[in-house]
Amino acid sequence: MKKKIKKNKSLNQKSFFFEDYLETNKKNKKFRSSNNFQDRIYILFFFFLSLILIFSIKITHISINKKIVYNSGKEKIKFSLTRRDIVDRNGVIISRNINTFHAAVDPKQIKDKKKFLIKLRLNFPNYSINEIEKKLKRNKYFRIKKRIDQKEKNKLWSLGEKAIKFEPFQARMYTHGNLFSHIVGQVDYDNFGVSGIEKYFDRELKNKKQLYKPLKLTLDSNIQFIINKELSSAVKTFDATGGGALLIDANNGDIVSLVSLPNFNINQRVNIKDKKYINKITKGVYELGSIFKTFTTALALEHKLVNTNTIIENIPREIQCSNGKKITDMKEHPKDLSVEDILVRSSNVGTVILAKKVGEEKYKKFIEKTKLTKNPEIELEEVGVPHQLKWNKCKLETISFGHGITTTPLQATSLYASMINGGKLITPSLVLDRKNSSTDKIISKKTSYQLRDILRKVVSSKSGTASLANINGYYVGGKTGTAESYGNKKSRINTFISIFPANKPNYVLFVMLENPKINKNLIYSYRGTKTKAPYNTSGWNSVYVAGKIIEKIGPILAINTEEFNNYYVVEKSN
Amino acid sequence: MFNKKIVLFTSVFVICLIVTSFIKNKTRMIEKKIYNLNVKILSNKKKINQAQLDFHYITSPAEIEKRLSTLGLDTYQPIKHSKIFFNISDLNKLQKKISNIDNLNEKKN
Repeated sequence: MKKKIKKNKSLNQKSFFFEDYLETNKKNKKFRSSNNFQDRIYILFFFFLSLILIFSIKITHISINKKIVYNSGKEKIKFSLTRRDIVDRNGVIISRNINTFHAAVDPKQIKDKKKFLIKLRLNFPNYSINEIEKKLKRNKYFRIKKRIDQKEKNKLWSLGEKAIKFEPFQARMYTHGNLFSHIVGQVDYDNFGVSGIEKYFDRELKNKKQLYKPLKLTLDSNIQFIINKELSSAVKTFDATGGGALLIDANNGDIVSLVSLPNFNINQRVNIKDKKYINKITKGVYELGSIFKTFTTALALEHKLVNTNTIIENIPREIQCSNGKKITDMKEHPKDLSVEDILVRSSNVGTVILAKKVGEEKYKKFIEKTKLTKNPEIELEEVGVPHQLKWNKCKLETISFGHGITTTPLQATSLYASMINGGKLITPSLVLDRKNSSTDKIISKKTSYQLRDILRKVVSSKSGTASLANINGYYVGGKTGTAESYGNKKSRINTFISIFPANKPNYVLFVMLENPKINKNLIYSYRGTKTKAPYNTSGWNSVYVAGKIIEKIGPILAINTEEFNNYYVVEKSN
Repeated sequence: MFNKKIVLFTSVFVICLIVTSFIKNKTRMIEKKIYNLNVKILSNKKKINQAQLDFHYITSPAEIEKRLSTLGLDTYQPIKHSKIFFNISDLNKLQKKISNIDNLNEKKN
């Protein structure tokens, strides 16, 4: 190549034409090279500019979407929640997800299986080593224990075995243990709700857009605790097989407390099959007895068949039903009773007379409108189905005092609330801030006010059956009910539905004891005297419990009302 | 002495190189900072979650009662709830009753 170039050079020098040509060629080359140079600068400039642009775009992108860009990844999976919190009306946490682990073993990574088993046996004597040994032989990945705590994880970690793996997992923690067991329910290991609120609101609780917005319930932890405590102690005192209590806001149907005993710890996953653990308030279906007399009286007043002072004369000791059955009164009452007295004294015969005045058609319409014998409407899966009502002979008479008709305590309590709040039909709810658009009325305001007065007298008057609930300052009113369980004459249900304050009721409290017995050692303060219980009626157990509950929850509920604050909270002047 | 074009080329190259590397490094630093801060935020969130859970557990009525019973605070007497009145008229009624009883007792004496 070099030789050729040299030859060319020598040739070029000899020819003029060629030289001229060369000069122009050189000029062209120079021009071309200058153009190339400019192009290169442009390309370089463009290259760096595009790099700068890329990084600028990246910075802008980070600054605008930093959450999306950097919250994704392993860290997010480790820390972020997969299920919303459930809180009470005051924001107290009822259930929340926590990060925990499943401990697993990969047998392929174990060098010495015998040593591994010895280590496990020594450190974890509770583990079923035989089962682990069997699984090790299969040589397939398996879990040793689900949902281990941090201590157990550290202990397993300290074994120094590569084969032990920790699978991150989110577990549901219930801060109050037993307290809300019948309401909140549980979730399974795959984060699916299996009972209670957890099941009913499963989709909403897993809604990723609302993960950091808790589901607010109408319940109050403090009230729930007090009621649970009082009811538990009553179950012991009266040797009852179970109990239930429900506190409803009379004006909007918010459930402030719902207790069913016995309960269970929802932090432990145990298969419960015993029927005594059912939610007695929403799933339990009972004949609630004399509580129904209030409805009969209300109907008689509403249809203006009587007024509260109308005297029903010559009330017999017993009355014969159309099918030949005899209806009697437990106690002996005066022959002439006013409508008010019939309810205050809880006269069966007097109530039957009122029911006959009302008539079957009107009673039927009332039961249909109030949906007493249909499935209760509540945000829980665990609801009972009342027995179908057959309007055969003597049905009206027995229903008038709460026999031959079954319903859930939830429905009976919410109907009581509707009766005394001015007649507005309410739907009970466990979720706060829901829209309640119902404007249905079951009775007029006038009848509602009349009922309040009568129910107050049940507690305050000497002839009333609920004197033990007459707690000073709370104007308690209510109605007792003592009945046999439907289809089981050996089983007994003692109930008391109270309203307070009776002059303008804010709350309705239902208390129920299942199969209570007389406590011979218990001495009551009864109308200024000390006495022992003469009968095993609700007046001597459920009413007593309700009184104790109202005495304790009254101040807490009152403090939250404007009425109390207006009267008692004053500013210091100096 | 130096070719102007070469100088221009080199200077553009060097300046762009410095600027690009500077921006790139800054971006990387910001990225790291953001990443670390996010990790911190998430870990703090986790801690807060845990602390809140502990708080609500420890301050639950059942736990407070347990602790009170272990402390044995016998000197503290609970206020009688029935002495808190729902409205002023009820309080006045009781006060009247008490004063009437007091007057009667005075007269007797």
